[in-house]
Amino acid sequence: MANIIETAKAAGCFTTLLTAVEVAGLTSALESPGPFTVFAPVDDAFAALPPGTVQTLVDNPPQLARILKFHVLAGAHRRAELVDQPEWTSLEGAPVAIRRAEPFEVKNATVVSADVECDNGVVHVINRVILPG
Amino acid sequence: MPSSILLLLLALPIAATLLLPVLPGEHSVRLRNLAALACGAQLLVALACWRLPPTDLHVAWLPKLKLALDLGLDGLSLPLVVLTALLSTLAILSAPDDQSRPRLFYSLLLATNVGVVGAFMARNALLFVLAFELVLIPATLLVATWGGPRKAGAAIRYLVYGSVSGLSLLGGVLALGWFNSNGVSFSYEDLAHASLTPSAQAWILALLLLGFGLKLPIVPLHGWQPFTYAQAPIPAVMLLGGAVSKLGAYGLLRFGVGFLPDTWAAWSPWIAAAGAVSAVYGALNAIAQADIRRLMAYSSLGHMGLLVLALAAATPLSLQGAMAQILAHGMIVALLFACVGLIERKTGSSSIPELSGLLNPLRGLPFTMGMLLLALMAAAGIPGLVGFPAELIVFEGSWVAFPRATLICLIASGFTAVYAIRLFNRVGFGRLDNAKANWSATRWPERAPALVLTLLVVVCGLWPKAITGWSEATTASLALRTATFPTQMASVSTPDTAVQAIASAPLLLPS
Amino acid sequence: MTPPTATAEDLRQAPSIPPSQHRWAEVIHRLEAGGSMLPDTPENLKQIIGIYKAYAVPMDFYWRDLLYIAERVFLNPLPAFKYFPSQEYLDLPNSYAGDQSKLRIWRGGEKAHPELLEFMARGETGTMPKLLHHLWHDRINMEFAEACMQAMLWHQGMGGRFYDYLETEAYRANADRAIKAYFRGNPAMLALYRLFPEMFMEQVKQMSYYANLGLFWEVMAPVFFEMSDIYDEGGFKGVPDAMNFLVNGIFAVAGRPIYHHVYVGDECIEVIPKSEGFTWLYEAALPYVEAVFYRTAPFRGTKSYNAQAQQVPANQADFHYGILYADVFPVGSAGIPPTLLMQDMLHFLPPYLKEIYRQHRRGEEDQLIQLGITFQRSMYNVTSAVIQALRCALLYPLDDPDPEHLMANRRFFEAQMDRFLRPEARLGDIQAQEYR
Repeated sequence: MANIIETAKAAGCFTTLLTAVEVAGLTSALESPGPFTVFAPVDDAFAALPPGTVQTLVDNPPQLARILKFHVLAGAHRRAELVDQPEWTSLEGAPVAIRRAEPFEVKNATVVSADVECDNGVVHVINRVILPG
Repeated sequence: MPSSILLLLLALPIAATLLLPVLPGEHSVRLRNLAALACGAQLLVALACWRLPPTDLHVAWLPKLKLALDLGLDGLSLPLVVLTALLSTLAILSAPDDQSRPRLFYSLLLATNVGVVGAFMARNALLFVLAFELVLIPATLLVATWGGPRKAGAAIRYLVYGSVSGLSLLGGVLALGWFNSNGVSFSYEDLAHASLTPSAQAWILALLLLGFGLKLPIVPLHGWQPFTYAQAPIPAVMLLGGAVSKLGAYGLLRFGVGFLPDTWAAWSPWIAAAGAVSAVYGALNAIAQADIRRLMAYSSLGHMGLLVLALAAATPLSLQGAMAQILAHGMIVALLFACVGLIERKTGSSSIPELSGLLNPLRGLPFTMGMLLLALMAAAGIPGLVGFPAELIVFEGSWVAFPRATLICLIASGFTAVYAIRLFNRVGFGRLDNAKANWSATRWPERAPALVLTLLVVVCGLWPKAITGWSEATTASLALRTATFPTQMASVSTPDTAVQAIASAPLLLPS
Repeated sequence: MTPPTATAEDLRQAPSIPPSQHRWAEVIHRLEAGGSMLPDTPENLKQIIGIYKAYAVPMDFYWRDLLYIAERVFLNPLPAFKYFPSQEYLDLPNSYAGDQSKLRIWRGGEKAHPELLEFMARGETGTMPKLLHHLWHDRINMEFAEACMQAMLWHQGMGGRFYDYLETEAYRANADRAIKAYFRGNPAMLALYRLFPEMFMEQVKQMSYYANLGLFWEVMAPVFFEMSDIYDEGGFKGVPDAMNFLVNGIFAVAGRPIYHHVYVGDECIEVIPKSEGFTWLYEAALPYVEAVFYRTAPFRGTKSYNAQAQQVPANQADFHYGILYADVFPVGSAGIPPTLLMQDMLHFLPPYLKEIYRQHRRGEEDQLIQLGITFQRSMYNVTSAVIQALRCALLYPLDDPDPEHLMANRRFFEAQMDRFLRPEARLGDIQAQEYR
């Protein structure tokens, strides 16, 4: 098996996410043993953001890192486990709400593909960038 | 100056009264300006008479009735004529541009002016009564035609009270002339020397008190006043409050103090008590009113109480104060109602609960409210404004004669500040409701009458001689008590000298 | 994050959820159709854009001076000249305007706006030394900006991490360094600091809010300038267009760092470093809207409040003295902040707005009130943009096919409208054009 970064690279639809992780300096963290649960927005999710949003974040790595950390939980949690609890605390500090089990929804994003197993955690592919608040 | 100038004082408004209905065109503003011009000219002539005193005019009219066209101006009547001419001019100018039925309206205002000026200038008691009665008709018509929603009731009440006042005055004056053992005469000179039995004096004074007390008014004869002041059109109220009611004060001074000094002196404690009651009653009622006009009507009633107190005391100083109070109150009450008129015209209301925040500089009526504040302060007797010297002299002059009544009046006068502040706090301050505040600002022509009065209120406050200097000699000669020995007054009073003095009252000029 | 607007085609679909029963149901349905709380009329559009322009010019001064105070004046015990930002700050390039900007929002220049400079030189009175302009109060009313800053400082816990950070040891250590550096060679102040350290800490916290608000407005000024330019070019078709421009703007700069640097000579002390990750949206914009649009504090002048008689809410979250609730009649007493802002905006009204004011109520005489009410309308539009932006960030598209998602949107909008149920709210007033 591959780690989270390798899995994302292999999937091919996480180009923006990987660039962002790289710019934010979180690559090495996500390559570490972890384990982590990552909600990974697909490229289309980033493309749906209004123009300039991603650019501003990329220009400011600490702020970008904060938004990205909101997509990461400590520990490897599979879908069955996540839906048992209404809220999970993200690495950013703000809670991530699990809104629905069927279809599986994390905040206002829908999980397109759940429980992608990696060496150092689990990836859930989501169709929207989620934001704290 | 020749005595014919006195006729001019009457001829000017009479001419305008007659001219207005026949002028072509329906231009309300032009009619207003013409009427104001006539009164303005009257004011100028009156001021000319002050610089160059005219001789008295005597024209026999109906010798059988002893009615003669005796006209003259002395220290009592001149300032009142000036005041009436001034207030008539400003009252006419306070009428709105689009005054309905302007010909009749301004004619009636002018007719009122003729009556009041005629009464002040009369040197014959019958002529005085005639002029006094003349005022009633146009004033009633003004209320009945242009009044507020309850104008009919107000007009009828005014008419009934006015008729009683006129009848009792007529009775009093006829008795005064006929019971004179020196022969029947109505000229002031003869009346001043009249010899009457004490019981006749008592009856006559009772009738005169009723007649003039209704006109002023004083409690308990005031029933018409708040109602009429609340319903009458603003120019009429300015004239009624400022000039017409002063007929009552003038009459008491001229006839009561002047012609019936003994009885006046004997009854004066009761008269003073009535004054004190009026002052307290007026002030307390004013505090409770929910309508600005009614509040001001009661305020006016209270101030009439002070005036009556001063007349009752009849010391040289108090009579001086009475004259000052007549002039000061005339200006203040006219200014108050001029401001209320502006408020009503813009906001459509004079109800205190409905109004608030009018002092707002952008959407309120800040200029009008500024003048109203000044007027209220003047009414409350704040130093530097015209109410202060008048009230101070009244209190100082009356204290020696009636300390208790004076003290009550002093306290009542303190309540003036209460209702003034209450009114201004409710109407001027607070929140101006944006949903309601959709009226235009006052324009300079609208402000002008009130502005002139405001300036006078300030100027006369800073230079009180303007309201005291006119009549010092006349009032001093009328005094029944000396200031220093109040207890001796009854015995000391020398009707003869007082009578002498009033008959040939010199015209004293303010220095 | 969802797309900010639904397309016109989607809006024609029959709604799949029942109509709202809320008192402001009409407004809620408009929001659900992608509209603003402010009705979409040509006059409303003209009014709000005109006032954005008039607001942006003094705002260009506010943000420069706020940063000048936060970074340079700092703890000066006698800050008599804090309203005189140095030339360096007047020339400070705006991060969102001019050629040097990475994300260019306004196509204009990066230095202080020419109209602002002209007003600073001439004022209402004429050309004279700026000290005389200041003393004659013929100037930009910086007191308004400070009142907004104080509202943010005072209300504090309104989301974001900014206030929590001010309590941390890291912040205290940074502040301590800044204080010691600023008062280097000033034994009196250093001794005072030793005696009353908390007082100095509070002052530094306040300075951090100066920086926070300055950085917030640095973004808003070019946004408003650009909106004015787009309108002048005929770009906006209605109020929703103007709102959507704001929504997009909010997202575009959401990640802008909020920080507080203090300069002592050439030395820069990072009291709040950029690396703390504070963002424009969470640490500045949302608290600003909450503190200034909704809450602020009762100001004296139009009304006296008696806290003992419970005329002021016991709970800070219930405060409702912001522009969305304000009675905009200025009385001009006791330094009412909105009055000051209205006075500032009066100097920069575009001609078409003056024309509107001339035609209504008392014309030029009560322009201050008319523009205040225009400002209120425009801030309802800005608040609508914030509400829509939050809906985009946290909820679902307006044309989401899932009824449960639409109900979630509905609940969100209703919760927002609940804040306008209190009688002071002007939401009902601004629905009518006669409210001026």
